[in-house]
Amino acid sequence: MDAVWLKVKADVLSRPLISLLILVTIVAASALFTLALATLLNLSAPYDRAFEKLNGAHLWLHFERDRVQRRDVERIEALPGVAGSTGIQYSVVSRVQVNDTRLWISLQVVPSGEMGPVNRLLIQEGRYLLPRQAELLAGSDLNEIHDVAVGDAIHVTNADGRKEALPVVGLAYNPTWDTYRNTQPPYLYVTEETLRELFPDESAWDWSVGLRLDDPQAVDGMLGRIESALSSDAIAEQTDWRDVRESAIFGAQLNLVFLGAFSLFAILATVLVITTSISARVLSQFRQIGILKAVGFTRGHILALYLGQYALLALIGSPVGLLVGVLLSPLPLKSVAASLSTTYRPPLNPLVLLLVVGAVSLVVLLATLGSAHRGAQANIVRAIATGAEAPCRKTFLGVELAARWGLPVPFILGLNDVSARPLRSALTGLNLTLGVMGIVFGLTLNETLRTYEREPSLLGIVYDAVVTRQETSDRHTRHRLENAPGVVAFYSEYLADAKTETGQSFQVRAVEGNLAAFPFHVTTGRFLRPHTHEAIAGQGLLDWLGVAVGDEITLTLDEHGRRPTMWTIVGAYPEPINAGQMMMVNWSTVERAVRPAEPRTYFLQLAPQEDPARLKQYLEPRPDADLNLVLVGQTLPDAVVYLQLAIFALAGILVGVAMINVFNTSLLAVQEKLRTVGVLKTLGMTPGQVVAMVNTTAGFLGLTAVLAGIPLGWLLTREMLLSLSRVYGLGQVKVTLNGLYALLLIPLMVLVSMVGSVIPGRQAARASIVKVLHSE
Amino acid sequence: MRCLVEINELHKTYHTGDVAFEALKGVSLDVSAGDFVAIMGPSGSGKSTLLQLVGGLDRPTAGSVRVDGHTLHTMDETGLARFRRTHIGFVFQFFHLVDNLTVQANVELPALLARRKDRRAIRARSTDLLTSLGIADQAPKYPWELSGGQQQRVAIARALINQPTLLLADEPTGNLDSASGQEVLAILSVFNQRGQTTLIVTHDAAAAAQARRVLFLHDGRIVGDVPGGDARRIAQQLAESEQEQSG
Repeated sequence: MDAVWLKVKADVLSRPLISLLILVTIVAASALFTLALATLLNLSAPYDRAFEKLNGAHLWLHFERDRVQRRDVERIEALPGVAGSTGIQYSVVSRVQVNDTRLWISLQVVPSGEMGPVNRLLIQEGRYLLPRQAELLAGSDLNEIHDVAVGDAIHVTNADGRKEALPVVGLAYNPTWDTYRNTQPPYLYVTEETLRELFPDESAWDWSVGLRLDDPQAVDGMLGRIESALSSDAIAEQTDWRDVRESAIFGAQLNLVFLGAFSLFAILATVLVITTSISARVLSQFRQIGILKAVGFTRGHILALYLGQYALLALIGSPVGLLVGVLLSPLPLKSVAASLSTTYRPPLNPLVLLLVVGAVSLVVLLATLGSAHRGAQANIVRAIATGAEAPCRKTFLGVELAARWGLPVPFILGLNDVSARPLRSALTGLNLTLGVMGIVFGLTLNETLRTYEREPSLLGIVYDAVVTRQETSDRHTRHRLENAPGVVAFYSEYLADAKTETGQSFQVRAVEGNLAAFPFHVTTGRFLRPHTHEAIAGQGLLDWLGVAVGDEITLTLDEHGRRPTMWTIVGAYPEPINAGQMMMVNWSTVERAVRPAEPRTYFLQLAPQEDPARLKQYLEPRPDADLNLVLVGQTLPDAVVYLQLAIFALAGILVGVAMINVFNTSLLAVQEKLRTVGVLKTLGMTPGQVVAMVNTTAGFLGLTAVLAGIPLGWLLTREMLLSLSRVYGLGQVKVTLNGLYALLLIPLMVLVSMVGSVIPGRQAARASIVKVLHSE
Repeated sequence: MRCLVEINELHKTYHTGDVAFEALKGVSLDVSAGDFVAIMGPSGSGKSTLLQLVGGLDRPTAGSVRVDGHTLHTMDETGLARFRRTHIGFVFQFFHLVDNLTVQANVELPALLARRKDRRAIRARSTDLLTSLGIADQAPKYPWELSGGQQQRVAIARALINQPTLLLADEPTGNLDSASGQEVLAILSVFNQRGQTTLIVTHDAAAAAQARRVLFLHDGRIVGDVPGGDARRIAQQLAESEQEQSG
């Protein structure tokens, strides 16, 4: 074994460039693997992680202010099973102006300086509120929907009706903000001092409390006990953390599926880059293996020699790669975590450490073992004489066609090299294909999202603008909308709480107006006919209740004790909110049951050429006008935009790794066949032709990869989007890929893979014939 | 006879780290068209280096080489490659065939590199050469499937496909058994008789005897220039020249 160790040291030290190349490959692969694991780690249970980290409240109670006293809240907090409380949270619903848009928001008090123990906020950008500062924290949904950013000023209308500009110092995520069945406006967080300055009359403040329970599943029982401990109707609304969780998971599914798929791509790329590089390197030393066997090395010695070399490099390279991956991971993963509304989880934990070092070393050892075993089996005389593993006998059709068509010799020889080492070519090609699939993934997603942006009705958004009213009557609002400039059609909506006979609660959209003018997208069945007890439902609701189109459903609306009403579900539609668990019915079938309530929201279709500013001026002539207009500017959530960026970034990394692989494979292949290059140069091959030959091999692999990667990437994306659309109830999703981009990708990938082989090609072109042939 | 190769005061020094080794120390030589010249000498005498410089595989440290009117040391890499392709045919001791090309493809390779347009003519020429060398039946095989002697014949066919001005052979029998070696020498002789100017490097006096002219190289200098033909006399002269030099 002394001889083996002697040779291991000699090989590693005497060829520092090759050792460095393999080391860099292992480092790059380990870093990529770390990033892949870190992504998976950050994708795992994002909501639960944020909830635990922030010590989220399991039950949130919004009180009817005049029916509850401070001691009632203290009694609730003292109930057995309550582990912690936020204390009374004060809030005021007020109108604010964000840029040109007026919104109703809830100004919520949070402790200044330091957050309380229960239901802390996740600061996603900027900072927390400082004491004695008139400033705001904005809920992250305000950023997503209205582009509120840190540094913006939001004009809050105070108790006197005056507007006060307060700066936004941070964006925050609230783990129990009720995104599910929510009628609450978005939150702006302020200190108690700021709220007092804006609204000095404490009696106008709303009260709520968040409770953390010993048993998170005991929400219903706890709610019952609280209700019986308070006077009737003391609780205006409540939020169950499980509903929020369900909604958060539903919203994050797109990101989870795509990022998860990319992580698996990256893991596969790691394996491929190591396998190709190491097997190419070992097999390029065929002559050395023959010589070593000739001087007495056994097969075991040969295996030990190469295993020793690469195990040593793996043990150095994998921890370094791990470190690089850990250092790099905050860059992409913090935004991934932000898009999932969760905390960033650094990958520095023993499991990741063990997995990276263990798995990378294992792949290195297996790749070494496979190729060293092949080398060790070689015939000594042939190994010494030819210096390379016998190439595959079978040349593929492309070579024959190229020869028949009289294409230049370097081109034919380059193609021939692809078939000479088919396994290695296949592994390199596969690695490139993964990169292409990544790009196609991104492009297809991008194009599909553009389709949805162009046709938001596919996502269930069939309107251009929304108008809400407070004091103005429904009748007067309709009258104004009928005469409003640029309004082509509108319909009103009343959101009713509904309960099934078995006690499941959800919300029903009761609609009325010129519904036919709106492009409602019905995925199954048909749209409801006016003035009938017909309903259409979101896929989420159908799945949840276990009903289907054609079934009948009996519901009690808004208040207990009212007479149940029956509807027939005639269709399914893409419901963008509440996990698809909503239903749409005619207002006329609801009106009597919910009277005296009336619609408060109006959805508008605008004339395409009409200036929205005119409409805004018409509906909001004064700053304190009652009607509020919000234009639907961005139909796609920012999380999806982040996802696109993340996918392009990851695709870029995959292409980068594929280029490293092309570089390695080309370099090692050039070294392996340096003698052949020398011979070809002797026969009159010019340096330019040598470069062309090496580039042809790489370019052909790139071409094959892009031709395979485009349809594979498209199919994979299509299948993923289709399965997601089934979950979201979007029906037949329109998956599109821009043909021009796909066509441009072909020369681009050929170029990229050729660029990866330029340095090896030039090295081959510069090699001295005499030295090359002499070294044989 | 026209002078095909003109070598004037040729020097070549190799550097290994700080150590310099002068392989050729002012060699001057003319070779006529149609000649068959053998270069003999002990290991390290500079035989192969001389052949490499004549073939444009390497550049001299000083001096000049002109082949068929082309001054090699003034050419760039691409020019040299084109020169080799059209003027020189190489035969090596270790054959140096391209292992993932068939025998026929190996032979045709220089013609294809020279961008000869008529593929049919190339195929006919390669088939003729393989036939005349007695290995036409090996055409579809790969080099590693052939014996050493057969591989060297393929190498000769490849060297001759472009009808080069000059055929250079570096120890062409050095890796062959004596019967195969004799066959290869006979082939070279036959082609020389058809007008092919040939320059071979050899250790073997019997091989050198096939040549019309034998040069003795010792320590980077030409120390003898005698007619070929008699192997015993050549061996004796080689021994004498070596003795003279060492004395």
